[in-house]
Amino acid sequence: MKHKPYIPTDSAGKLAKTFLRNPLTIILGIFLLSIGYLALMVMPREENPQMVVSGSTVIIALPGASAAEIQKVIVQPLERKLKEVKGVEHIHGRAMDNVGIVTAAFYIGEKKEDSNLKVYDKIMQNISILPHGAMNPIIKPLDIDIDIPVLSVAFFSKNDAMSNTELYDRVKKIQHHINGLDNVAVTQLKGGHKHQFNIQVDLGKLSGYNLSMGQITQAVQALSYSVPAIKNTTKENTIVMVGVENAIESSKDVSNIIVASYMGSPIHLFQVAEVTDSYDIQNFKSATISVKDANGTFSPMKEQVTLTVSKLQGTNAVIIAEAVKEELQAYKESLSKDGISYVITRNDGERANEAVNELVFHLLLSIVIIAILLVLVLGWRESLIVTFTVPAILAITLFVAYLTGQTINRITLFAFLLSLGLLVDAAIIVIENIHRHYHSLESVHETPDEIMIKATDEIGPPTNIATLAIIMTMVPMAFVGQMMGQFMKPIPANVPVALIASLFVAYIFTPYLAVRMLKKPDHTEKGAH
Amino acid sequence: MFQKFEQAVLDGIQSASRRKIILLGTLVAFILSVMMIAPTKMVLAKMLPGKNNDTFTIYVDLPNGSSIAQTKEVTDCVVGFVQKENEVLDMEVFLGMGSPLDFAGLIKGSGFKDAENVAEVVLNLSKKHDREEPSYFMAQRMRPLIVQGCASLFPNTTISFVEPPAGPPVMAAIVAEVYGSDTDGIRALSNRVADVFKNTEGLVDIDVMQDDIYDTYEIHVDSAKVSRSGVSIKQLNDILYLAFEGMQIAVKNSDLYNDQIPIYLSLSKESKEFTSKDINAVKYKLASLKLMNEQGMMIPITELVSVVPKKSNPTIMNKNLHQMTNVMAETDMVSQVYPLMEARNTILDTFSDIYEIEKIGLFNLQLTNKKSGLVYKIIWDGEMEVTLDTFVELGAAFIAALVLIFLLMVIYYKSYTLSGIILLGSFLSIIGVIVGHWIMDIFTHDTFFLTATSLIGFIALIGISSRNSLLLIDFTKSLMHEKGMHKAEAIAFATATRAKPIFLTAAAIILASTLLAGDAVFGGLGVALIFGTIAAVVASLVIVPVLLFNADLEKHFHFHEKKAVSIFEP
Repeated sequence: MKHKPYIPTDSAGKLAKTFLRNPLTIILGIFLLSIGYLALMVMPREENPQMVVSGSTVIIALPGASAAEIQKVIVQPLERKLKEVKGVEHIHGRAMDNVGIVTAAFYIGEKKEDSNLKVYDKIMQNISILPHGAMNPIIKPLDIDIDIPVLSVAFFSKNDAMSNTELYDRVKKIQHHINGLDNVAVTQLKGGHKHQFNIQVDLGKLSGYNLSMGQITQAVQALSYSVPAIKNTTKENTIVMVGVENAIESSKDVSNIIVASYMGSPIHLFQVAEVTDSYDIQNFKSATISVKDANGTFSPMKEQVTLTVSKLQGTNAVIIAEAVKEELQAYKESLSKDGISYVITRNDGERANEAVNELVFHLLLSIVIIAILLVLVLGWRESLIVTFTVPAILAITLFVAYLTGQTINRITLFAFLLSLGLLVDAAIIVIENIHRHYHSLESVHETPDEIMIKATDEIGPPTNIATLAIIMTMVPMAFVGQMMGQFMKPIPANVPVALIASLFVAYIFTPYLAVRMLKKPDHTEKGAH
Repeated sequence: MFQKFEQAVLDGIQSASRRKIILLGTLVAFILSVMMIAPTKMVLAKMLPGKNNDTFTIYVDLPNGSSIAQTKEVTDCVVGFVQKENEVLDMEVFLGMGSPLDFAGLIKGSGFKDAENVAEVVLNLSKKHDREEPSYFMAQRMRPLIVQGCASLFPNTTISFVEPPAGPPVMAAIVAEVYGSDTDGIRALSNRVADVFKNTEGLVDIDVMQDDIYDTYEIHVDSAKVSRSGVSIKQLNDILYLAFEGMQIAVKNSDLYNDQIPIYLSLSKESKEFTSKDINAVKYKLASLKLMNEQGMMIPITELVSVVPKKSNPTIMNKNLHQMTNVMAETDMVSQVYPLMEARNTILDTFSDIYEIEKIGLFNLQLTNKKSGLVYKIIWDGEMEVTLDTFVELGAAFIAALVLIFLLMVIYYKSYTLSGIILLGSFLSIIGVIVGHWIMDIFTHDTFFLTATSLIGFIALIGISSRNSLLLIDFTKSLMHEKGMHKAEAIAFATATRAKPIFLTAAAIILASTLLAGDAVFGGLGVALIFGTIAAVVASLVIVPVLLFNADLEKHFHFHEKKAVSIFEP
C-alpha cells in the first residue's frame, strides 16, 4: 500500500525528519554528552556565585586634628568630590581623631576596574583640596576575589620554648612558596610577632643620669646608619671595594651605645635601659587557637599564625586548595620536627566541591526518580528515551554556561534542579504523542518513520509556544537588580538555555531513539483504547 | 478512567450551577490564601532563611577605650563556653583585629578592625552531615549563655553571632539609620531606638554603631613657656609619644630574617604605667619626664604644660553626605519584618513625648524635637531594605512575566479572551504556593518562611501552568476544527486526553522539586513548585475548562461557521 509521505509543517517535524535516519545523529549525541562532561570537569567551582561588587576606601590622615576638624576639612570635601563620580550608590564617611575615612560603594554590577580607576582619578585630580599637613591619601579598592581568602591555615607550636618570632619567621618562608603556586593571588599572615630590638628605658635611671629620651634617639640613630661599599681603583686600574660594617649588628651593639657622658665617664645605653632582642611588643594584636584532640578535649589557647590564601578571579578554588594542601604536606615533616603543627581552618574549595557534588548527586537522584515515574506510566523503553534526553540537555546547558564564563556554584545547580522538572516536559510530550499515535488505530498503516515525524510535528507549535512562555517568565528576572539579582543571576541565565536545548533534544533525539527502541503494537487482535 | 473523567468534565461544564460552584470556590480559595499572608500572618515572609554552616564567628566589641587585656578577659570567657561544645572542632581568637575576611565580614567592616577593644572568635564545626544540630540552632542556643556570662564582665560590651549568610550579605537584619544635624541629638535618639530594639521580642545582638564617650586627659601646652625655655613643641610631642607609645627610631637590615629589624624605643612597662586613672597620676608621671633645651638644660615637662580632663571625641559618621548613626540588630530565627514593625509601632507610641513624629515613605519616620525644633530621620536599611527591594523587583518581574505571556498568547491566539483564560489559570497557582508554605510551616519545627526563592518559583510556575492551559486549548481547537466536535465535547475530550501528559509533567516537576524543598535557601522554591504545580493542575483541568466553556470559542478560534451541533443540544 502506497500513500503520500507526511510533510512536516513545523520546525519540530522538520528537525525530526532531518535527524531521524541521519548517521551523524548518534555522533552528535555523544559529542554533546562529552562536551557537557568536559565543562563539568573544567569549570571553576565555587560555593556562591561571583558578585561584582566594587568600591574604594580613601583614608587620609591629618595628625593632631580632632574628629570635628577632620569632618570639616577632609571628610566633607572628599564626600562632595566622590559624589561627582558616576555609578556611586552610597558614600560613607567616618571622621575620627587624626584620620578621615571615606568609602564609595558602587552599584552592584558596576565594573570593578573602571570603578577603582574613577575613584583614584577623582582623588588625584583633587589632591589640592586636602588641607595643609594632611598625609598622602591611601586608596584601597575593594576586591572580593582578592580580599576574601579561600583558604586559611593556622600554624601553632606545641613547643613552649619556641620564641615568639620564630613561628612567624617559619610561616613567612612557607608563605612565599605558597604564593608561587598557580592562580594564587594574595597570601597574608595574621597573628605572630616580628623580630625587633627593644630599648625599654627606666624613667628613674633616666632622670638619675639627667638624660632625656631625645638624647637616646639621637645616639641610636647616629650609629644605625648604613652606607653602600666604597669603590676605588688602584694604580694598576683594578677595583678595590671597601665596605663599612654596620655599627649595629646585634642587640648587644645597641646596648653598648654611649648615650652621653656624665662627670667625664661615658653612660652606656644598658645603664639606663634594658635592650632586648625580642619581638614587636607594641603590637597589641594576637591570634590564638584551640584544637580539639582525638579524645574530645580542647587544647589550651596557643599562639598561632594564620596564613590566608586568596585566588585570582575566575579560577578554581578546588584546585588551588588541593595544591596548597600538597605544598604544605612537603613542609609537614620539617615543621613537626620543631613542634609546629597546622590545621586548615577554612577551605572554601572543599566546601564548594562538597556543595557541588551534593547537588550533582541530587540532580542524578531526581533524574532516577523521574525515570521510575515514567517507567510506571509510559513503559520502560519510553522512560529510557526521556531519561537519556536529560543528560544531553544538561550537557548543552553546562557547555553554554562554560562558554559564557560562568562558574559551577550552588545557584547554577539549583537552576539545573529547577529546570529539570521543566526540561523533561518537551520530551514527555513528544514521547507521549508518539506513544498515542503508535497505539492508535488510525496510524496502523503508517510506517514508524512517518508516525515519528507526524507525532513530533503535531505537538510542535503548542510546545514551542509553551516553552517560549516559560522562557518569557525568566526574562524579567534577569533585570532584577541589587545583590539578590546578582546572586540569582544563574537562574535566568541558565533556565532559558536549558529549555531551548530541551526543545532541540526532544525534537531530534526523542523520535530518533523512539523509532529504534519502541515496538509497534499489533492492532489486528485488539483495538486501541 | 479516561471515559469517567471525560464524562465528569462534560457534566461539570454543562451544568450552570456546578460552573458557578467551581468559580465561586476558586474565588473563595484565592481570597483565603491571600488572607494567610497579610492579616493573619499564617505565612511569614523573609528574604532568605538561615543556612546550616560549618562555621560561624562571634564578634566581641568592648566599649571604646578598653584595653586589649580587658578584651582578652571577655574572649577567654567566650572560649570557656565554646570549649564545652561537642560539635566544635577548633576555635581561633583574633584579638585586636578581624578574622580572615569572609562574605559577612566584608559588609560588616571586619577587615577594618584595628583597635584594642575588638576581637573575633572563629568556630569551626564538624561537617554538617555528621551533625544533628544546625549551626543556626547552635548559635541560638549559645547566644543567651555567652551574652549573659561574658558581656556582663564590662558594661556596654556587645557580643554578636555572625553566620555566613545564605544569600547576599547585609550589614545586619535590621538597621535603623538615624539622621540628623547635631551629634548629641543623633546620639540621644539612637540610644532610645536601641532601647526599643532591646525590648522588642525576637531581636538580639543590638549594637549602636557609635563610639562610646570615655574620659581622656588633654595636655595643654603653654606656648609662652615653651619658647622661653628654648625647646620646641615638636620636641615636646615627640618625647611624649616616644615615652608612652614608643617609636621605631631606626632599623637594621638583616639577611637572616625576613624583614628589617626595627629598633624600638619606649619607656619600660613599669616606668610608663600610671598608678591609677586620675589626673594626679598623669601629672606625677609627666613630672619625671624631662626635655633637653638648646642650652643642654633639662626641663621637666610639667613646667611647660597643664593637664586637663576631657571627654573623648567620638567618630562622626556620614552616609551620602548626611550625618547619621546606625542602630543594628539581628533577628533570632524570625523574619525581620515583624519585629521591625513592632519596634516601629513602639517608636510611634512612645517617642511623642519629645518628638513630633511624621511618617515618610513606606516605613520611615521623621522626628522633630519639640523643644529645639531640630529634625531627625529614622530610615530602615539592612536586610529589611534589601528584602523590600528584592520583593518589589521580583514582584515587578512577576508582573512583567504575566504581561509578556499575555502578549505572547495574544500573538498566538489573536484573542484577548483566550489569553486571559490562560493568564487567570496560571495566576491561580498562587493559591497552591501560599497554602503549601502554610502546610510546610506546620510540619517543620522552625518557621517556614515565604522567601525570595518562593517568588522565583512562583514566577517559573506561571510559565508551567500556562503551558498546561495552552496544550489544552490547542487540542480543543484542533478537535473542533478537524474532527468537527462540539465545544463541550471537545473541551471534555481534550481535558481527558491532555490530563495524562499534564499529570506526568506535573509529577516530574514535583519529584524534581522534592530535593529542592529540603534545602534551606531553595526550600521556598521547591515548596512553591510542588504545591503551585498541584494547584496549576487543578486549575487547568477544572477551572480552565469551565472558563473555556463560558467563552465563545468559535469566535475566538476564528472559525467562520459553527462547526457542528452537539448531540446534547436540542
